[in-house]
Amino acid sequence: MKRISQDCQSGLPDNCAVKQQQLPAYRLQLSANKILSGFFATGVFCLGVGVILLLSAKTIKEVEINYTEKCANCAKLRENAANFDKECNCSIPFFLPETMKGNVYMYYKLYGFYQNLYRYILSRSNSQLVGTDVKDVRNCAPFKTSHNGIPIAPCGAIANSMFNDTIILSYNLNSSIHIKVPMIRSGITWWTDKYVKFQNPSFQNLSSAFAGTTKPPNWPKPVYELDEEDPGNNGFINDDFIVWMRTAAFPTFKKLYRRLHRIEHFTEGLPAGSYSFNITYNFPVNRFRGEKAVVLSTLTWSGGSSLFLGLAYVVTGAVTWLAFFSMLAVHLRLKERKTFFLQQ
Amino acid sequence: MNVKVGDIIKLENNQFVAADLLLLSSSEPHGLCYIETAELDGETNLKVRHALSLTSELGADISRLAKFDGIVVCEAPNNKLDKFTGVLSWKGSKHSLNNEKIILRGCVLRNTSWCFGMVIFAGPDTKLMQNSGKTKFKRTSIDRLMNTLVLWIFGFLICLGIILAIGNSIWENQVGDKFRTFLFWNEGKKNSVFSGFLTFWSYIIILNTVVPISLYVSVEVIRLGHSYFINWDRKMYYSGKATPAQARTTTLNEELGQIEYVFSDKTGTLTENIMTFKKCSINGRIYGEVHDVLGQKTDMTKKKEAVGFSVNPQADRTFQFFDHHLMESIKMGDPKVHEFLRLLALCHTVMSEENSAGELIYQVQSPDEGALVTAAKNLGFIFKSRTPETITIEELGTLVTYQLLAFLDFNNFRKRMSVIVRNPEGQIKLYSKGADTILFERLHPSNEDLPALTSDHLSEFAGEGLRTLAIAYRDLDDKYFKEWHKMLEDANAAIDERDERIAGLYEEIERDLMLLGATAVEDKLQEGVIETVTSLSLANIKIWVLTGDKQETAINIGYACNMLTDDMNDVFIIAGNTAVEVREELRKAKENLFGQNRSFSNGHVVFEKKQPLELDSVVEETVTGDYALIINGHSLAHALENDVKNDLLELACMCKTVVCCRVTPLQKAQVVELVKKHRNAVTLAIGDGANDVSMIKSAHIGVGISGQEGLQAVLASDYAFAQFRYLQRLLLVHGRWSYFRMCKFLCYFFYKNFAFTLVHFWFGFFCGFSAQTVYDQWFITLYNIVYTSLPVLAMGIFDQDVNDQNSMDCPQLYKPGQLNLLFNKHKFFICVTHGIYTSLVLFFIPYGAFYNVAGEDGQHIADYQSFAVTMATSLVIVVSVQIALDTSYWTIINHVFIWGGIATYFSILFTMHSNGLFGIFPSQFPFVGNARHSLTQKCIWLVILLTIVASVMPVVAFRFLKVDLFPTLSDQIRQWQKAQKKARPLRSRKPQTRRSSSRRSGYAFAHQEGYGELITSGKNMRAKNPPPTSGLEKTLYNSTSWIENLCKKTTDTVSSFSQDKTVKL
Repeated sequence: MKRISQDCQSGLPDNCAVKQQQLPAYRLQLSANKILSGFFATGVFCLGVGVILLLSAKTIKEVEINYTEKCANCAKLRENAANFDKECNCSIPFFLPETMKGNVYMYYKLYGFYQNLYRYILSRSNSQLVGTDVKDVRNCAPFKTSHNGIPIAPCGAIANSMFNDTIILSYNLNSSIHIKVPMIRSGITWWTDKYVKFQNPSFQNLSSAFAGTTKPPNWPKPVYELDEEDPGNNGFINDDFIVWMRTAAFPTFKKLYRRLHRIEHFTEGLPAGSYSFNITYNFPVNRFRGEKAVVLSTLTWSGGSSLFLGLAYVVTGAVTWLAFFSMLAVHLRLKERKTFFLQQ
Repeated sequence: MNVKVGDIIKLENNQFVAADLLLLSSSEPHGLCYIETAELDGETNLKVRHALSLTSELGADISRLAKFDGIVVCEAPNNKLDKFTGVLSWKGSKHSLNNEKIILRGCVLRNTSWCFGMVIFAGPDTKLMQNSGKTKFKRTSIDRLMNTLVLWIFGFLICLGIILAIGNSIWENQVGDKFRTFLFWNEGKKNSVFSGFLTFWSYIIILNTVVPISLYVSVEVIRLGHSYFINWDRKMYYSGKATPAQARTTTLNEELGQIEYVFSDKTGTLTENIMTFKKCSINGRIYGEVHDVLGQKTDMTKKKEAVGFSVNPQADRTFQFFDHHLMESIKMGDPKVHEFLRLLALCHTVMSEENSAGELIYQVQSPDEGALVTAAKNLGFIFKSRTPETITIEELGTLVTYQLLAFLDFNNFRKRMSVIVRNPEGQIKLYSKGADTILFERLHPSNEDLPALTSDHLSEFAGEGLRTLAIAYRDLDDKYFKEWHKMLEDANAAIDERDERIAGLYEEIERDLMLLGATAVEDKLQEGVIETVTSLSLANIKIWVLTGDKQETAINIGYACNMLTDDMNDVFIIAGNTAVEVREELRKAKENLFGQNRSFSNGHVVFEKKQPLELDSVVEETVTGDYALIINGHSLAHALENDVKNDLLELACMCKTVVCCRVTPLQKAQVVELVKKHRNAVTLAIGDGANDVSMIKSAHIGVGISGQEGLQAVLASDYAFAQFRYLQRLLLVHGRWSYFRMCKFLCYFFYKNFAFTLVHFWFGFFCGFSAQTVYDQWFITLYNIVYTSLPVLAMGIFDQDVNDQNSMDCPQLYKPGQLNLLFNKHKFFICVTHGIYTSLVLFFIPYGAFYNVAGEDGQHIADYQSFAVTMATSLVIVVSVQIALDTSYWTIINHVFIWGGIATYFSILFTMHSNGLFGIFPSQFPFVGNARHSLTQKCIWLVILLTIVASVMPVVAFRFLKVDLFPTLSDQIRQWQKAQKKARPLRSRKPQTRRSSSRRSGYAFAHQEGYGELITSGKNMRAKNPPPTSGLEKTLYNSTSWIENLCKKTTDTVSSFSQDKTVKL
């Protein structure tokens, strides 16, 4: 086999590394030292991250006010779908004991609303929402067209069920002076959503762009009247609409509604004191036994961390360390046996 | 070939016979022809067939042959190779036909330039094909297990579907009912049970990825790769015949790693079917050993030049003898040496013939006799020619003609043959060669201590695995011989007790012999057979030899390849004639075995100490000590009957070695089937000839030795290579790796799919059981094909735990495969549990982390799309880390595939979430901007990281503890390998080969009785040596009766030596 001339012989397989299974290779063999130090390091890392996450989560100030029952009369009104055009307002006072420093975000939160149902998620038309074809309602069943066959814009179950309460936060400086806390809408949506995924049809006049379509059945007004003051927030590119259209993964979710505009009294954040939410109660939740709440919250470096991630890291780190120590014990006890073999 | 029944075909020398033929005529006198039946029964000696005298007259006359219109009435096609009954009616007379007149398909015509035969059976009706057994579709046990598991998984899938469907019904009833009126237009009342029913089917579709469809494809790809590795292996390439190993099927590879029983043919498989004269002992001195300057025995291969016989023009170039001393002794004229060689040149049944080039061609009926005569020829005593009355030899250049006075033929009782010759000086001499045990009894007392010395030499030869013969002569008194000869004539003429009387006379004259010495002939084993056998036994593979050859030959080979040793506690020989006898013998053997076992109970410790490497071995056999079983075909026929076969199996499986001799091809298959069926073990059959086809077909794996003349075995086989020794590499390296890789592959594959799919199940509880998938549709499509298939394929094809050298050196590594340890139902459950655990971690850590949380920019991140991307990313990374841990042999390909898999995932992710793609197909790619947004969030990466740590760490810890607490041999070797990486490769564990030193005297056992008669009758002499009209022996037999005599003797032998019988009565 050593002679080269034999290579030419018929049938002699090539002497290449792949064919002879002699490819140069690294033999992965995790030695005890590597594994043990790996476990130790992982434990340290997890514990460290966990503690940091827990500490930062503690700095978060959060106020959550569930107003399902607090606006009982409104809730009752909305139980009957026939009253959809009757306005119902509701004011909820609350006291903020501590200043919420930094950026403050206002969310609405729904309990038991299944935005993740299969048929619900499908029921939208991306090509309609991107403005290319307003009358494209193919995927929108069961909200494709109205009774008389006019295509709905925006079509589909998601759009139809849009959260449409308006929430206004006022700061009660004293019993008589109520300052409306300045809130801004910008930056509550993803850039790609606002500028790529959602586009109004390119017409001078928005209402003519939506000509030949009708409003979703649950909506009080058509899509081109969502915000008549700001054309950059009207139609499909309405921020609240875009936020709603980004469906939540779980039946309990909160969505960003507004963020604090840090001017005047509020440059530091929300000062301690008494506040009230003035809510226009439109969105019915009692029918599906859901609940709704409004949330004020600050953030940390990692976002609005809940305790879970920190705890999970701490637990993982602790377990890894525990494993490390028990493995070390086992290993040291058996070390003699191992060397016995190797000496043979 | 369109050979049909009734055709008359012509065969030429050395051609394979294509159909079962009735011999009509041949080139040889009296319609004789010679055939070799090695393909059929493994016997290598020539056999004689002769045509009816009526038809032999037809000769080569084509026109007369064409007019031949005889009618043959015969038995129906059957598989009995040694039996034929039929009647030929021709020209108004009837002639009975027996096996002697039939040439079977698969035989080879020898020493006969042509013959004509009429086809009696063709194609599938031939006896060979009747013996070849059915072709079955072979599958591996892993295949069967896989099918079972897939069914289980399917059941599991249906269970999941049912659980989720019930959940959906309840949910629809409790929650969805109210929800629906709010969310959906006017659907009215819908039945929640119907909804559950729909959900069931939706979930079956979503969760179908647990049933790994791509598994089957991947498994086939891996097997194909492994088959190519076998084809490509240079270490299994035989340069002698330019034959590479060949994997003829691509579906059985991993079963090569689970073999428990190897059934091997003998002739052409273990042996090369070449006999060579190796050594001799003449007058108490050994010739043939090579001593170097220091007087030590050296290897017979290099250094020394072969003894030059260039002086001798007739020397055979292939003959190699390395001892110059013998040459010197011959030249010095040592009378004993001359006498020894003279005997070799005179006492045999070889026929000589000169071909056109003037070279002597010996026609031998047994290869060992050929070896002896060739040796004599090369040493200067050339057998030139013979007539019925004379033998002419050339003694160192001078022609000497001896008068052949009597020929005392070989038979199984006598185990010797003698000739009585008168030399030119008028002296009468008896030359005898035979089994030493027999000859030593008949020596003259004046031999003194020569027998003892020769006996020592014989033991030495036997210890080297050589076949020995003792050589002796006797000077006869003229008067005494004449008297004896007269008595012999009388005996021959006698009507009753003729054979007994002749035998008595033979006994009478063959005594008071003078010992000359002994010869040692090597039945050449194939290269590396002993090492292979030893190594395979260490791997706990039991080797059974199934041969059509004689018992003595088989036993001899058994000793030669160390399968039988003198260290064995007992060797049971089953040679019973009837069912009752066989049963009795089996029962006795068993009693004996258990009895001895009890008394050897403390031998257990010794046994364990012998194999210190077996740290984790379990001595599962209840019997300790080595036993061997030898059973012949006739007994086997009885032993394979229903009530006895369990006893046989039990006994055979407790023996270390089993040798079955005189077995028919079909019996070989039956034995294989027996073990296969009742031991539930994986079997491998290896053979080279057509007689092995049936066992090759019926074993789980059939291996053919290629490069031989016949192709039947290779064509029926699953793997083919040129040398038996490659079996070691095929099993211990390729088989072991295949099994190891396949098991690892399967474990990972099930794990990966469970981890991937079950996430949907958990998500079901949070999405109202609405059959919403967790991942993006594109990810589901690509996961199995693009992201995760290649790394695991690379592992399945290239992984090695231990390198090939160590696999060969440490055969114990093979045991996990036999015990089915690497992939079984238990392992499957572990994989599935692992997968389920991973899916739990994958789902619930993001769930907990996302619940009620905002992102860095305050926006909610718990939207469905971000959740999907997070999960998918974690999953791809976790399974990649897992495969990275599983891969123990990181070639460049593994690197490319594993890192490439992750890189591909991210590039595809970003592409599919890009603005451009969304611009073109807004409905197909709704995840626009998702990757960019989600994967820039710190908290999402923290979630992914935690997921990876939580799903990988327990596995690492578990494996670490397993290796630490219960290290397998493979783990140990791997550690050792690592420690020794820079040092020289492992050598110390190479199995040593040792020979036993028992004396197995053997006459050249390929002999058959009857040739002496053939020679002395002169019937096989050509016309150019016209038989003299008068002669001493001539009168003894009349020319028509000798053939009948021959046949009669053959059948007599068959019936009186039941153990040598092949017939299944």
